[in-house]
Amino acid sequence: MSIIVKNLVKTFDDKKVLDKVTFEVKDGETLGVVGFSGSGKSTLLKIISKLLYADEGTIETTKNSDIAMTFQYSALFDFLDVYHNIAFPILERKEFRGKYSKNQIKEIVKQKLAMVGLEGIEEKFPSELSGGMQKRVGFARAIVTNPKIILYDEPTAGLDPVSSTLIEDYIVRLKNELNASCIVVTHQMSTIRRACDNVILLYEGKIVFRGSVYEFLKGDNPYTNQFINASLEGPMEIKTAI
Amino acid sequence: MIDVKTTLTYSILKIFLKSIKSFLITLGNVGKDFTKVLYYILRLRINLKATIEQSSRFAVDSLPITLTIVGMTSVIIAMQIAPELAKQGAEGYIGMLSSLVMVRELACIMAGFAIISMIGSSFASELASMAVGEQINAMRVLKVNPIEYLVVPRFLAGVIMMPFVFILSSFTGLLCAGVISHISANLSPLNYINSLWQGLYIRDIFIAMLKASFFGGTIALISCSCGYSTRGGAKEVGIATTRAVVWSFLAIAVWDYIFAVIFYL
Repeated sequence: MSIIVKNLVKTFDDKKVLDKVTFEVKDGETLGVVGFSGSGKSTLLKIISKLLYADEGTIETTKNSDIAMTFQYSALFDFLDVYHNIAFPILERKEFRGKYSKNQIKEIVKQKLAMVGLEGIEEKFPSELSGGMQKRVGFARAIVTNPKIILYDEPTAGLDPVSSTLIEDYIVRLKNELNASCIVVTHQMSTIRRACDNVILLYEGKIVFRGSVYEFLKGDNPYTNQFINASLEGPMEIKTAI
Repeated sequence: MIDVKTTLTYSILKIFLKSIKSFLITLGNVGKDFTKVLYYILRLRINLKATIEQSSRFAVDSLPITLTIVGMTSVIIAMQIAPELAKQGAEGYIGMLSSLVMVRELACIMAGFAIISMIGSSFASELASMAVGEQINAMRVLKVNPIEYLVVPRFLAGVIMMPFVFILSSFTGLLCAGVISHISANLSPLNYINSLWQGLYIRDIFIAMLKASFFGGTIALISCSCGYSTRGGAKEVGIATTRAVVWSFLAIAVWDYIFAVIFYL
């Protein structure tokens, strides 16, 4: 058991953003969450990561498991260099304070940076890095405590296709190395194809499709068909999304 | 038939009600954050390194501008008052008047204004940028409490460092007033120093230090709270910073009044 979400309901100002959302992500599985802007994808991640509370419903995760989350625009602490960004949870979290020596922390940071293909940038500040590098530093920071659940909020947003491919590869690699369960919120088909095992499609807070990547890409379902073809015609009304 | 919504009265009322709403929201946020800050301080959950960093920023970084403002104000006041008093044969009161004005009131309030402009606004914009850039959310996900990490050190820096800023400001103000009195009213330094203590008591200095501490804590808390609760984008960062500055000015004016009523009425 990794993540079991049952009947999640979230309302903002009388608008139901999530309406009885139920799904399960098994150990070592990556679930892609797709949908129009405003369909409740990011809200779902924020509830799982406990940044928001659900009005109704439950989320069950493996006990004592850290939940890591990467953000759309990396959310690196711009007043800290890369080293301190990555070491931040180890240095500042109560349960880790004093647990590791300075050299051990250095080694951990180096190892996590190597896992995302970045080395020797410990002293740089986030503003000195490219968008793709910032994302990868965000990944390194997220995995510094070896979490078993990783949530990605639009990991390839704003990146060029090659950088996106690199990020997608790292999503797969990190999942395999940490044996983690992942949820990836994305708009990009390549991310679904390359990094996910299963997919759910959200529309107006409800799951309108749930299945494997193969089933999703087949486009048999009118909702997935409309989404894949980026069509204005179909069961999903675009006006609600813009 | 007149559409009520187009009338001037309606517009004024709307702005008034909006201001009241904004005031109540700010007050609520500040009160909520103060409770949390107090909770962490009482449980000694204090990040010493961050507190020292913020203290240095609060006092040292703001000192040049604070001392310049206080010094210039005291120069202007002394320039206008000293010759007049000298003309009336009341040179002996120049020092007394300077010390009363400076220690009881001016050093504290002018330092407060300088700190709001320099430090308060930077606290607010910094935290607001962090909030809209999801850095505060990232901190929460990493299980580091943002109030404990960001707000408590800044609040403590304000409470601890503001009295020191006040002492230096008072000293600078009195020094500048002495120099100007000597130049413009030919008052000897010895006479000036002797008259400084005529109306001033040690109690006044302690009250002013306490007041400075309240000012520092209030500025830090309001600035952090306005920044921390920001949602939206760049526009909201600007609004939060303005709100922090305005409410801090207002709050220290209120504190000043309360202290005057309690200790001098």
